[in-house]
Amino acid sequence: MIDSLYIAWQYVRWNRGKTLVLITSITLIAFLPLALQIVLQESEHQLQSRAVNTPLLIGAKGSALDLVMNSLYFDDEAPQAINMQAVGQVEDTDLAQAIPLYVRFQSRGFPIVGTSLDYFDFRQLQIEQGRMYAFLGETVIGADVAERLAVVPGGSLVSSPDNLFDIAGVYPLKMKVSGVLARSHSPDDLAIFVDLRTAWVIQGFGHGHQDLVKSRDATVILNQDEKTVTANAKLLQYTEISEDNIDSFHFHGDESIYPITAVLAQPHDDKSSALLRGRYLDDIVYQVVKPDDVIEGLMENIFRIKNVINAVIFIVGIATVLTIVLVFILSLRIRRDEMNTIFRIGCSRMTTMRLLAAEILIILLASALLCTALLWLVKINSGGLVRSFIL
Amino acid sequence: MITIESLKFSYANSSFRLNVPDFTVVKGEKLAVIGPSGSGKTTMLNLIAGIIVPENGNINVAGTAVSQLPDAGRRDFRISNIGFVFQNFQLLDYLSVMDNILHPYRISKALDLNKTVHKRAIELAQQMGIADKLLCHPDQLSQGEQQRAAICRALLPQPKLILADEATGNLDPENKMLILDMLFNRVDEDDSTVLAVTHDYELLSRFDRVVDFHEFYGVGA
Amino acid sequence: MKSKTCCVAVQGRKMFDKFLTPCCLIVACVLSFSTARADDKFEIYTVNYPLQYFAQRIGGQHVNVKFPAPADVDPAFWMPDVKIIGDYQQADLILLNGAGYAKWVSKVSLPRRKLVNTSSIFKDDYIKIDSEITHQHGPAGDHSHAGIAFTTWLDFTQASRQAEKIAAAMKNARPGLAEEFEQNFKQLNHDLMQLDARMSELSSLQPAQPLLASHPVYQYLSRRYELNLKSLMWEPGVYPEPAEWQVLNLILRRHEAEWMLWEDQPIEKTQKQLSASGVDVVVFSPCMNRPQKGDFMTVMQANIDALADVFSD
Repeated sequence: MIDSLYIAWQYVRWNRGKTLVLITSITLIAFLPLALQIVLQESEHQLQSRAVNTPLLIGAKGSALDLVMNSLYFDDEAPQAINMQAVGQVEDTDLAQAIPLYVRFQSRGFPIVGTSLDYFDFRQLQIEQGRMYAFLGETVIGADVAERLAVVPGGSLVSSPDNLFDIAGVYPLKMKVSGVLARSHSPDDLAIFVDLRTAWVIQGFGHGHQDLVKSRDATVILNQDEKTVTANAKLLQYTEISEDNIDSFHFHGDESIYPITAVLAQPHDDKSSALLRGRYLDDIVYQVVKPDDVIEGLMENIFRIKNVINAVIFIVGIATVLTIVLVFILSLRIRRDEMNTIFRIGCSRMTTMRLLAAEILIILLASALLCTALLWLVKINSGGLVRSFIL
Repeated sequence: MITIESLKFSYANSSFRLNVPDFTVVKGEKLAVIGPSGSGKTTMLNLIAGIIVPENGNINVAGTAVSQLPDAGRRDFRISNIGFVFQNFQLLDYLSVMDNILHPYRISKALDLNKTVHKRAIELAQQMGIADKLLCHPDQLSQGEQQRAAICRALLPQPKLILADEATGNLDPENKMLILDMLFNRVDEDDSTVLAVTHDYELLSRFDRVVDFHEFYGVGA
Repeated sequence: MKSKTCCVAVQGRKMFDKFLTPCCLIVACVLSFSTARADDKFEIYTVNYPLQYFAQRIGGQHVNVKFPAPADVDPAFWMPDVKIIGDYQQADLILLNGAGYAKWVSKVSLPRRKLVNTSSIFKDDYIKIDSEITHQHGPAGDHSHAGIAFTTWLDFTQASRQAEKIAAAMKNARPGLAEEFEQNFKQLNHDLMQLDARMSELSSLQPAQPLLASHPVYQYLSRRYELNLKSLMWEPGVYPEPAEWQVLNLILRRHEAEWMLWEDQPIEKTQKQLSASGVDVVVFSPCMNRPQKGDFMTVMQANIDALADVFSD
């Protein structure tokens, strides 16, 4: 057999172009469904584990999926906003701990998550560098954000404008990075966390004042008389909360009507959970969802799609296998002289078959190895792949 | 070396008939077989080699009744006792010259590939003047060099009988002589017998005996 | 020489084995035990002294109540630094006064779950202040009393409700100690109700008696105990401007007060000038920061004792 393998190896090596095409075809046809399976399993694992660990979400009536995807995975499709009253309502029931979430803005492609510090305890997120945000305008960033944007504590990030064509829109906020979170292998690694009030500052609800009378930049001032100083649009290109102006920062109106996208409710026990859900059954403004149920529904749909894809891959697989068989038959025809010669020399038909089998074995083995290596790569990177491209 | 008695052979669905009442080749003889195409020269070689078996009659090669052997026995006998040299060399392009020479040892259990065989292969190649081409592939060799490699392959198992089927047909006149000399020298050393089918009449003088197959044995349609 | 050293070393090791090892073990045990106890303590941070006092009374030995503002600042207008905010973030409970007290709270990030607004229960009863006058005193710089009156605890019934909220939060956080907290709260509530009873009794002696306040911090005291009080914007350490004396004289024409309530003893010059205008000084400390002597209860008792002279006149 070793001699057969040697001869077969020489053959596949000599015909490396054909061999490569065969190996690639076989590898792909095996790799695609298996890789899809791994990615889907990882997606399911990530979606489910986060969903299971998030007892209840309360948000505006509408798409439950949008609410869950935005609140758990910081999807940029923000659900309709509710207001802070919703948080108070949950707290007043004494049935659950309420954590507000406002996921609407972005900075350099990463979501800005406005929340309270309780979120970090809830998700068991630890600070790895720097410290937790303390003042308005400070931010703590996920490990992947820090890595990809090469930002460290002491650096800054500027929020992206909500709408490029919003002439009356607010200035972006320059946020000071106070800390970087330890990697949690979750969507939190890809998020920029700020205090809820900082998110409201980004939206323009809270603001400070620049002292124009003391301004050194004369071009900022449009008009000045004894009573009034009028500034032009050059006044600020972005807002920044600093030690100098933090005292002047204030919020207008009642905080309870300020927007959030969801309330993450942590019921004290199963009974509290059931009671809390019951209270929102007939509510016309809010919906309460169990992320686990929503994700389960989503996964069912995904698996249905996966089955269709697998069926397609199966058919393509059959076509590929037939093609490979054809390639071998044609190859045999081309090699008829060679087969005849070795037969005349004294080789049995069985040995001829063994030579062919060895060639197939080498090709299958190489495909299996390549496929395993690719699958291993997909497996070890599946977490990141899923977080970056799917969630 | 070869004794054939009352041999009859025909192909299915063909009017071709071969009748050989009596045919003998003595040990160490260099016999040239001539005759027109279709006269049964190659069929005769195949019968002697045990690739095909006759309907009637006996073929005895080196004391073995080849036609009486089973398939596997004929194969083992062939690879151990008969060296084939073909017109178009029939080297395998994906193997190096060395691997081509050693090929019979790799495809049959009847031959044992060991260090001595390797050594002998190198010696043969040196004798045939292709020692520096052993690592090359056939497509890197000239026609003459390719045939020399094919002869090495045929001679390596030290066969008692060499069957050459138009072995010089694809070579230029200079190479024909050279290669025939090389083959005969080695055959003399090994005390082997040569049965060569050829159309090259100018080479016939180098053989001990010439048999016109058509005139004596071939019965065409 | 070598063997001698060796001998000493061996003896030393034997001594260590005999005596030092057990001693070290005992010390280590005691230390680890005491560390464990300290770690076990419930850590509470507050935004003013009255809340610290209430929490400490209720929690007793089981709590470690901290109010990290320096003694010389007005906690209502203080701004903690990053390190102190970090300490607040790490606390088990953070007691807020509510009513807009400690504006810094709205400019920093604190864990919502740990926040307890002690006055939320009576938020509908907050007193709104219309006037907005900015003034400066102490290291906190410019500040304003506009918005909501925040010295809620000077109405002792409100103080009691704040204490009740603290007790509830503490019981919730440490259910195992609920009974003890409840007992301690009852004792505190009893003391606060006694203060309330004394204040009510005193103020009822001369209900319409005109009074002045050097600073607008007595709104809840005034409302609960029906004091006929008008506030100025004077500081104990600063001699008022002539214009401010004019304002006083104008007020005195329609509001014939003979006493002015001060957060702290004013400087002598101010005191003399007030006497000249027929106004005596009475110190009623809101006790926002920890007192130099005594505690919240003794300070309030001293306040009421001082008012006894006012109402017995």
